[in-house]
Amino acid sequence: MTMFKNLAKKAFPKALWVYHCNTGACNGCDIEILNILTPYYDVERFGIKLVASPRHADAMLISGAVTRPTLPLVKKAYDAIPDPKLVFGVGSCATGGGCWFDTYNVTGGAHKAIKVDYYIPGCPPRPEAILFGVALALGIVDKKAAPVEMKQMEFPIDMYESNKQWEERNVIYQLLDN
Amino acid sequence: MKIFYVFVNIILFLALAPFFEGIIRKLTARVQSRQGPPIYQPYLDIMKLLGKQTVISADNPVFRAAPIFALASILAVIAFIPMGYRETALTGYADVISIIYLLTLGGVSVLLGALASKNTYAQVGASREMVTMIMVEPVLAMTFILGAVKVKSLGIGATMFSLSSTGFGISAGVMLVVFLMALQAFVGKQPFDIAEAEIEILEGPFIEYSGPGYAMFKYYMMLKQMFYASLLVTVFVPFLQTGYYLVNIIVQLIGIALVFVFIALIGSTNPRLRIDQAIKYYAVLVVMAISAVGLSVYGL
Amino acid sequence: MVLKPGVVTLKYPFEPMPAPATFRGSPTWDHHKCVGCGACSNHCSARCILVRDVCQELRVMLYDGSRCTYCGRCAEICPEDAITITTEFELATEDTNDVTERMELFMLTCQRCGRCYDMENSNVIERLDLRGYRYDSLETRALIRTTTDQLDQNMLKKTENYQRPTKKG
Repeated sequence: MTMFKNLAKKAFPKALWVYHCNTGACNGCDIEILNILTPYYDVERFGIKLVASPRHADAMLISGAVTRPTLPLVKKAYDAIPDPKLVFGVGSCATGGGCWFDTYNVTGGAHKAIKVDYYIPGCPPRPEAILFGVALALGIVDKKAAPVEMKQMEFPIDMYESNKQWEERNVIYQLLDN
Repeated sequence: MKIFYVFVNIILFLALAPFFEGIIRKLTARVQSRQGPPIYQPYLDIMKLLGKQTVISADNPVFRAAPIFALASILAVIAFIPMGYRETALTGYADVISIIYLLTLGGVSVLLGALASKNTYAQVGASREMVTMIMVEPVLAMTFILGAVKVKSLGIGATMFSLSSTGFGISAGVMLVVFLMALQAFVGKQPFDIAEAEIEILEGPFIEYSGPGYAMFKYYMMLKQMFYASLLVTVFVPFLQTGYYLVNIIVQLIGIALVFVFIALIGSTNPRLRIDQAIKYYAVLVVMAISAVGLSVYGL
Repeated sequence: MVLKPGVVTLKYPFEPMPAPATFRGSPTWDHHKCVGCGACSNHCSARCILVRDVCQELRVMLYDGSRCTYCGRCAEICPEDAITITTEFELATEDTNDVTERMELFMLTCQRCGRCYDMENSNVIERLDLRGYRYDSLETRALIRTTTDQLDQNMLKKTENYQRPTKKG
């Protein structure tokens, strides 16, 4: 029985079925998602198929900043997906709200509704970028983005240590650090 | 020996049906100028679906039992068709009417599953599937009845090999043309994709199924495709009959692969017909089928 | 008929495929050229470039790539050309902290008072936003909000005959 389960687990990354959920997007990301199903950027060679019902799907592609009316619906669609599941947030609206993250109708990013596994930033993300995200999820490529930190000069910090005000600001410094 | 043939039939069909479906998908992709999925992709699809959790969305026993009915009915049909021109142990116990009954039972179990899931889209898909079944079953029945009229018996072995024993005539030619034209409708591919796999337009009758139930329905569809292709090869191409079982089986499999290539090429180059256009098409097919049987009654 | 184009699929994840040269991908900062003016932060469409003065000589700028819309306004407005828009689009990640860039800048202090230029209180000139050659109408005592880089005689003549707009009704 466990051998059967292992086989099913091994077959999972090779036959992902994807459900596309648009939570108030401008449709730019939707068009790019449809673009990767065209012959030029064929994503079906990885076995990925677009299905129309979340009950048949394994992965959910969310595009769009999650607006207030769609927030409970995204949760419902996520619950309707059977168990080993993956969520991709496509576009900068889904990875943090885009330009509209603090407006009145937007709750800001797909992570406010459900737990997201992979983010694909871009506005709209190039089809190669979405393919890169899919390949990253399948384990074919390695991650390329990494946090960058630059300093103009190293500070002699002991000079400020006696200053109580600097100590106060030091707390903010640490908050910015994580 | 004949019991052995039963198992060979079942294992052959179970193992090779996803392979032929993979051929269809790969050919469709190549026709659309893209590199499609690998040929063994439907095996991975079914393995993955079997490993998923079942989300029970409608809690009646019909919902849970419908996929099992479908798979069981098609396996029953497979167990007694004579592949390789040898009759299996069960062929003597069934006749043509029971084959038609079991195939209809498969369709009815799809309907039951769709209607038990209380979803509007599933109801629309089920109504279209009902219309398709009603209009297309007569063609299948006429194929068998043609053979039955020719050899004056209803046993499966005799009817399916009727053309090899009594020879081709005009009626069999007409019947072959009708069967080829109706093959797409039997199998559920474009241009008659209306009820079954219409996931793009209305999500079909399988919308509420997930995980193992859906895997069983998918397997049912693949086995049905392979059965119809093998029916075409067995009934209408009886020339290549050597005495050896293995060679017969291999020749029949090559024939089935050619039929699948034909299905894939027609399927990927045609649009999907609307239900009213399809009804008119089916009506013409039924009239032609009845005329073929009429011709055979007169001995032609 | 269908065999003529053959298979046109790109072999993308297995072979690198660079974007065209004018593609707007992710921005990067050059900390040698940045003066810490904060113009990019003012102009960012998604308000994702943040500036915070940590202490008197330390200014931290944080670019949060999760909301960036890759519009290019920051690079367009930067006076020192410290921001370049690269053609990098392969930014998929599991954690949004991976696309952030953080810069710590050493700010010079004012020679007279020893303080850095404050971000919180701006002076009157900043608030008026009027720099360059000015053409206010001295006759009617009207402040006319136009400035130009070079002295423009037409503008000067136009404002000599300036009429204040009258209230209707």
